[in-house]
This record gives sequence, C-alpha cells and structure tokens, in this order.
Amino acid sequence: MLYVKDLYKSYEAGKNKYQVLSGVSFHVAQGEFTAVMGPSGSGKTTLLNCISCYIPFEKGSITIGGTKLAGEKEERLAQIRNTKLGFVFQDFMLLDGLTIRENILVPRMILGNVGQDAVQLAEKLAKMFGIGHILEKYPAEISGGEKQRAAVARSMMNHPMVILADEPTGNLDSKSSRAVIEAFLEAKEQMKATIFMVTHDSFAASFCDRVILLKDGRLYRQLEKKGSRKEMQEDLLGVIREMSE
Amino acid sequence: MTELFTLKGIEQKLQKAGRKQARLYLFSNFIALMIISAYAALMMSQTVQKAFPEGGDSRKQMYMIFVLTLAGCVVFTVYAAGLFFRYKSRQIGVLMALGASRKRLLPGLMREVLLLSSLSAVAGALAGIPFVWLLWGLFRLILVDSSQMVLALDARCLLVSAAFFLLVVGVACLSAWRYLQKTNIMEVIREEHLNEPVKEPGRWCGYIGAALVLGGAVLGYSAPRLWEIWFHRYSPFWIGVFYLPVFPGLYMVMLHTVVYGWKSRKKHLYENTITRGMVKLQAKQTVNNLLIITLLIAGASFAIFYIPAGSISSLLEYKSAPYDYFYHYRLDQDVFGKEDVSKLAQQYGLSVKDWKEGEYINLAAGGILEAEDENHRLYTEYAVLKNEVRVLSEDTYHALTGQNEDVAPGTYLCLTNEKETNLFVIHTAKDLTNIVTGAHIETSFAGYAHYGLLTGIMGWIVLDNADYAVMEQGLTDEWKGRIVQFNAHGEDSYAFAGRLYDLFVDSFDKSCEHVEYYDRVEKLNAMQKGEEYWMESTELETMIRYDRRDTLEFKTSWMYHPKFRILLINEHLLIMGVLYMMFLFIFIVCLTTALIIGFTRCQTIALNNRYLFEDLRKLGASSVFLSKEVRSQCSQVFRMPAWVGMGTMYLLFIGILYANDGKITSYEGIAMLVCLGILVLTGGVVYAVYQRTVKMVREQLEI
Repeated sequence: MLYVKDLYKSYEAGKNKYQVLSGVSFHVAQGEFTAVMGPSGSGKTTLLNCISCYIPFEKGSITIGGTKLAGEKEERLAQIRNTKLGFVFQDFMLLDGLTIRENILVPRMILGNVGQDAVQLAEKLAKMFGIGHILEKYPAEISGGEKQRAAVARSMMNHPMVILADEPTGNLDSKSSRAVIEAFLEAKEQMKATIFMVTHDSFAASFCDRVILLKDGRLYRQLEKKGSRKEMQEDLLGVIREMSE
Repeated sequence: MTELFTLKGIEQKLQKAGRKQARLYLFSNFIALMIISAYAALMMSQTVQKAFPEGGDSRKQMYMIFVLTLAGCVVFTVYAAGLFFRYKSRQIGVLMALGASRKRLLPGLMREVLLLSSLSAVAGALAGIPFVWLLWGLFRLILVDSSQMVLALDARCLLVSAAFFLLVVGVACLSAWRYLQKTNIMEVIREEHLNEPVKEPGRWCGYIGAALVLGGAVLGYSAPRLWEIWFHRYSPFWIGVFYLPVFPGLYMVMLHTVVYGWKSRKKHLYENTITRGMVKLQAKQTVNNLLIITLLIAGASFAIFYIPAGSISSLLEYKSAPYDYFYHYRLDQDVFGKEDVSKLAQQYGLSVKDWKEGEYINLAAGGILEAEDENHRLYTEYAVLKNEVRVLSEDTYHALTGQNEDVAPGTYLCLTNEKETNLFVIHTAKDLTNIVTGAHIETSFAGYAHYGLLTGIMGWIVLDNADYAVMEQGLTDEWKGRIVQFNAHGEDSYAFAGRLYDLFVDSFDKSCEHVEYYDRVEKLNAMQKGEEYWMESTELETMIRYDRRDTLEFKTSWMYHPKFRILLINEHLLIMGVLYMMFLFIFIVCLTTALIIGFTRCQTIALNNRYLFEDLRKLGASSVFLSKEVRSQCSQVFRMPAWVGMGTMYLLFIGILYANDGKITSYEGIAMLVCLGILVLTGGVVYAVYQRTVKMVREQLEI
C-alpha cells in the first residue's frame, strides 16, 4: 500500500545543512495500523510531511497504491492528497467558520461531488466515532477530543488508501486520546483503513500493529505486535530507553 | 448537491465567517484611499495652487509631506493586506493540505481579494472628496472664510486616486498570489504564527543612528551653500540626497528602541524583558512601522508649525508698528492728499493725527551679481547698475521717524526693522546712479538704521542730504515717490481702512500694476541685452491686477501695498487662510495616518503574540501583569515615534529660525512657545489613541 524506499531529505538553515532523513525504507500493508516513533529531531514529522506531499524530498521513492510521488506535478500531488490520503493533525486543523458536518465534507467538496451518498457517509462516520450529535456545531463549541474525532471522520471521507496522522493525541487528555485511538481502530476494523501515525505517545503506539522507530534520520528498529497491548507498550519503552542510552 | 456543499459555497461561508478579520483590512484600505484622495484633491485644487507660490518652499513642503503620507499609506495598506492573508493562510493551508490545488483555490481567493480591496478602495476614494469638502467647509465655518477659501477642485486629482487605487488592488492580488506560491504547505498553515525577527545589532546602533540623524540634518541643510562655495555652481536638484543619512539613522534609533530600549541595563536589569522579547519577534515590521510613524508625526509637526510661525510674528509686528496707516506711491500717480483723507475719516467718525509725509527717490544701486558662465560655473562680479533702490534723505528720514541719523557724505545707511530680521538689505553697493540723467556717485555701506515700516523686498537706504540733492536732480516723477503715515484718532474703523484701501488702489495707473519684486533697473539691463525681463513672464506678476485687489497674491505681493494696521490684523487670517488651512489639513492627515499605523501595528502584536500571552497566563501571570505587558508593548509603538518625530521637528524649527538671520527674536520665541503648546496637545491626542488601543488589544487578548 505504502512503500518508502531509501528516502533522503535535508534542510538548510543559513550556511548549515541538516540531514534529517538518511535512507529510510519501509512498507505499510493495506489495513495495517502503523506508528512511527523516535526522539525529537529523529525525522518523524519530516517523513510524514514527505509522504503527505507537503514537502519535496531529495532522493529515494515514495509509492502510494502504485503511484510514485517523485516527479509528480503540483496539481497531481494535490489530487493524490485529496483522493489517496487522509489527514489528521495534532492541532485538528478544522475550519472555524464551518460546522462539523461541513468540515467532515470538505475533502469531498474539494473532489467536487458531494451527493447524498457523501452526506450519508459523513453522518455514518460521525456516528461511528461518537460525534453524530454535534454535526451542526462549530469547532469552537466542542471539546478537543471531539474535534480530533471529527478530523478522523474528515480523513476518511474520500476512502483514502492511507490515513496519515501527525501526533493525533498530542493535544488531548488521556480520555480523549483513548477515544481518538479507538476511532482509528474502528476505522481499521470497519472500513479496512490503513493508518500511518507519527507519535511520541507509547500508549497510543501500543495499539498499533507495528511501530517503526527512527533515530537520527535512520530506521532504528521495527516492532511487530505479537502479544497484548501492554506487552507492546513495555517492549516499546524498552527500545526507547535503549535508544536514549 | 446543495450549493453550500461545494468548494465555492464553502469559500463563501468562510469569507462570511472571516468578516471580523477582514474589517481591519477594509478599514485600512478605506482610510488610505480617503486620505490620499483628499490630500491630492486639496493639493491639486486651484484654491491651493494659487495660494502656494510656484517654486516656493511652502509648496515644496506640501509636496514633500504628500510623498511621505503616500509612503505611510502604502505601508499600512501593504501591512493590512499582509495581516489579512496571514489570517487567510490557515484556511488556504488546510484546504491545500486536504488536496485542493493552488490552481483551484486561486480564483476564489482572487475573487474575494478583488472584491474586498476594490470595494474598500473605491469607497475610500469616493469618500476623499466629500471629506475634503466637509473638512474645508468646517475650516471656513469655524476658523476663517474668504473669497480665496472657496474650494475649486481640479478633476486631475482623480488620476492620483485612480493610481493609488490600482496600487492597493495590485498589492492585494500580489499578496494573495504570493501566499499561494509558498511551496511548503506546512509553512502556509503556520504562517499565522510566523515571526519576523531581526538580527540583533550592537548596542552602539541607536547612538550611531542618532548621530546620523543629526549629521544628515546638518549636512542636508548646509549642502547647497557648501556646494556653491566649493564648486562655484548652483547646487544641483539632487542636492537633497545629503539628507539621506537621516533615514538609516532613524531606522537605527528605532531598531535600538525595539531591541534594547533606552533604559540603562545595569539600573533596570530584566525590566521589560518579556515585552522586548515579544516585540523582537516581529521586529522587522515593527521597526519599519515605527520609522514611518516617526516620519509622519514629523511631517505633521512641521506642517502645524507653519501656522504659528507665520501668524504670530506677523501679527505682533503689525501691532507694534508706530503708525496705524502707512503707504507710499510714485509721484506720477494721482493719489489723494491729507485733506481728502481727513474728509473721508470724518465720514467714519475719525480724525487724522500725527500726519507725516516725505519724499523719496528711486536710484540704481550697484551690487554683487551672481551668475553662471557657459560652463555652468558660478561666478560673481560687481555690477554698477544692479538693482533699484528707494532712497531717503537724512532730513526726510528724521521727519518720518524722529530718529537723528548722521550719514557721512559718500556713504549710506541701510534700513531694516528693529530686530534686523529683514533679509532684503543692500550693503554691497559702491555706486548709486540716477537712471534718468546718468548722474553717479560712489558710496559705501555705513551701517543700519531701524524703521520697520520702511522695509520690503526693494531695499530702502538713507543718504546724506547733499548726496541726496545731487542724485535727485533731473529725476522725473516716475522715479520719485512719497511716503505717508498717520494715526487715526477715535475708534479705528475697519470700514474706513477698507474704503481708503480701495481709493488708494484706484488712484494708480497700469504702470504700477507690478509685483513687489519688479525691478526697473533689472528690466533696463535685460532690455539692453535684448532679453525679455524674466519677472514679466512669472505667474505671480500676471496675478497682480487691480481688479484682484482682494486676493492673497495682491495683498501680499503688490509693489505699493499699503500697511493699514487694522486691515493687516483683521485680514491676516483671510489672506493667509488657504496656506494655513492647507497646513492644518496636512497636520490632520499625517497625524491620522500615523495613529492608524500605530493602531494596526498594536493589533498585529496582539494577534501574533496571542499564544505567548496564553503561555504567560498558564505560567500564572495575573491580569495586571498581562495588562502591563500589553501597555508596555503598545507604548513602544506610540511613544518613541512621537518623541523623535515631534522633538526632531521642534529642534529643526528652532534651527531654521536661527539660521534665517542668526538670532531668535522675541516674536519667534513666542511662536516657538505656541508650537510647544501645540506639541503638548498633539502628544495628548497620541496618548488618548494609545490608551484606546491598549484597551482594544486587552479585549482581543481577553485580559
């Protein structure tokens, strides 16, 4: 579903050049819930931004559902973002002037065909994530957890191949975080969604099928979930300790 | 599919929701267009064009301040557009992140921008004309009204409005396009929170800046004269570039203000550290804004100084004149005598007293001629026949003034006023020539005699009686004149003075219909060279006509204009009304522009620092503490520009007064005090706006 091969990306700040990603390679299968973890500066967000087509990369390749991102024109990349990817941001990125229903429908509006089916899908997603009762409210009128669940619903509006989530629980309390993770799990179960999540939160990552750990822009290790969530979390904490030594 | 569930529908809804943020942008455009249109309309009106002498300093100042105001308005419209797009950038970024392409978003954004900028700009441009009418009407109603004050607009001013309108709309469209061109979508999304820090300069920056301001002012002022001395040429038009160090100097002063402040670090350790830290984050724009505000306040101050500087000295001089009525005329003119004046005075319940009269002659005086050779090199040479001069004998001078001046034969005394501020004195003459007979004597400057009524653009001198008698021989009446001065006994009558003025003007024939600068000796010189006398083709000379006796030009520039105290005092404002009101208008416009820029800058600081204020609140900062921070930040925007702008102009004003004649007279001292009072009032207005701004920023930050 998502293939990342030998990815390189650097930034320049003044005269200094910082290599953020140095040959990162991995692949995410359809229906898989994958997390990326790593210390600050390890390149997690840059990796996500490259996959999101927000920033160009220098070397390597990213393939989503058979489509290579490198060399695509801006218009085509926008189309890929709209149809093949779904996005969940740390600070929700809901549009303040629109109701939750309208916010969820935005990707479909960009696609240009909001029919009755889309309206029904928005309602179905909202119900699935427990926000069916706030569809006519505005972002300023609801809680952070509700906003993020609305964002998850929005990310699924165009049946994307991959949902990309950037620290989706970063601004939430533990109860809301759990609700958001459950929303992802629900999406995975019911709609076979593929989720790729960047997080600092080992609790959130412990729900994933697999966790990719980055250090200094390189793949440090990948952990597959074999036992319970708790075991996964303990394994993760162990690797994180090892990385910081 | 409902209309709302389309991208266009959503864009429209978002535009509706963003009205509050668009308000500041609309307001800024509206005000900028209104100010520029109004200024251009007034500046280009026939009313003002006639009142400001062509090529004169006041006209140059008016244009210069217009350019300054234009720059100020451009800055705040560009900045307001930037602010608006910062707000819009989040929406644009989110839509782009969700898959909307730039191409797809561009039409909607352009539609919105064009609509907002065009509507606000057109409204502002249209409001400019009524604004001028209203303000000018108000001036006429409350302050001064005369036939010169009737506003006659020139349609060409609309071209300026149209050009500025295109600029505003162009800037808006360019900003919209620029925001969409950002390659990094995350940058677009986070644009709202982006900072604009500057590289910190050394602490010397402010002091060097102050030195540059001072040096630039002195250099700019003295450059033309130095150029002439060193290169023996007239200074070129670009000599003004020597003022340029003032601008980087001001920038450095403002940069120092923003980055370090002016308080001693040792004494005030960590004072305002948080404020400075926040302002530093937006230092680039803040410093630019402070610079423009300073220049606008300086422009406003300079404009308003013109009024007391022009009026107070004149009014005090009129009041201190020794006679109520003074006039002179050529002997070949049929002007009424004492008996006629007495009869007329009786009709107005007055009697004439202290009547004194005496004759004078007009001679050609030698002098230093400054000219350019074929290589445009300046040279000076002495010319025997240079200028026309009015000459009194010792006896006549004594009879008129009561002063006993003993003038040695072969010398002359130059007449000036009591404070010796009259610039038109002749002290280089070595020859005097009777222009009719060609009789000639050698002479030399022997000092000054003081009598304010006998001063003017054409110089007055006093000769020894014997020399006078020699030079008078053979002169025809057109080269002779009579001076009359008297007081009116009883309640002085404005009506009498008005009637006497009319009769006086009526008694002259066309040969005296000339501007005060008209010099018959210069004309003879030109004719001998086969050239046209340059004065005859000037606009002012053509404006001096007896049927225009009530106009500003006639009353200030006619060669024989009488000095009737009651008329001068009562009509001063009427005569000078257009000039004074134009400068008052400039003051209002510049100050308003400066205050709006300050207000928008503070709004920006609030918008950009919202998150920092929230963080401070989370760290336990009380409302009192946060209010103090807001106050401190806003005060940086208003305080320093006000001090520097007003202070610099006040010092410059004193410098100009001093440089004019090497002294500050008591009249000028009074004018300076009045100017100081005006600055205090202006400071009060700035303070009131600052207080209001602080209140609004606190409301925005929910403090």
